Amino acid sequence: MIKKKKIPEATIPTASMADISFLLLLFFLVSTVMDVDTGLGLTLPEIVEDQIEVKIPPDRMANVLVNENGDVLIDGNVIPVFQIKDMLKSRIASKNNLPKSKKMIVSLKTDRKTIYNVYISALDQIKLAYFEVRNEFSNGKYGKKFNDLNGEQQADVKEVVPIIISIAEPESVKK
Amino acid sequence: MQFVKKRANTKTEIPTASMPDIIFMLLMFFMTVTTMREVDVLVDFKLPEAKAIEKIESKRLVSYIWVGKDKRMQINDSLVKMEEIENIMFKKKESLPEVIVSLRVDQGSDMGFVTDIQQELRKAYCLRINYSTNVKI
Repeated sequence: MIKKKKIPEATIPTASMADISFLLLLFFLVSTVMDVDTGLGLTLPEIVEDQIEVKIPPDRMANVLVNENGDVLIDGNVIPVFQIKDMLKSRIASKNNLPKSKKMIVSLKTDRKTIYNVYISALDQIKLAYFEVRNEFSNGKYGKKFNDLNGEQQADVKEVVPIIISIAEPESVKK
Repeated sequence: MQFVKKRANTKTEIPTASMPDIIFMLLMFFMTVTTMREVDVLVDFKLPEAKAIEKIESKRLVSYIWVGKDKRMQINDSLVKMEEIENIMFKKKESLPEVIVSLRVDQGSDMGFVTDIQQELRKAYCLRINYSTNVKI
């Protein structure tokens, strides 16, 4: 009778498994970029063929004009960029109790030669004004900041303080 | 009389059997969050700063437009001209309807140029935009 050869035990050495996965882990650790994109969000208006002019009462509208030198004009007053927020806050807050169709509209208009940086700081100020009004309102009603509210409450605050920013086209774009 | 030192005869070993599993879990996490596609940015730009910023929830929805100091524009991996934006962005909008266009514009650019880009985006129905900014402290 032929003696059967003893089959050696077939095992995969797993001792180095941890090392290999460590290497892979290190690679992905190094190559991961964690930073989140941050910025000012905005929704552009759709292009409509025939535009209808709607008259908006002047107390509902705040015109923010930024010229090419970086001067800011709000409803006829020249002010520095960082004061836009304080100018707008009280006006936005005063419209909290009014119906939806009477909320504040902030219109931001620039010149074609305006520096982008100034435009961003103006837009930033306007958004800050809205955010602070939202925070104050939610503090008064729920005792929490806007960001800590749940979805339903946030929707409620958004209803009371909607962010309506109109980006007007610079003068020379219009025909 | 000699004192016999009493030694604890418990084994002092950390069980390492589950180590690969733990490492693998970490590995899986990093593999899923890593986005491999790093675009070479060909234009030179410096972002403006702002305070009232918001985070973009999903990176997969974002499509970038870079504008450099020398007014060159880049979409994806190539430099583009103003007339080409509409076509490129319309295709993006078709393949990804919820696309958010992130404008990474140099802070010294003039608004006329930015407005032109916005007009092109409006024609391509890419209406959700985001002015990319750094956080002002």
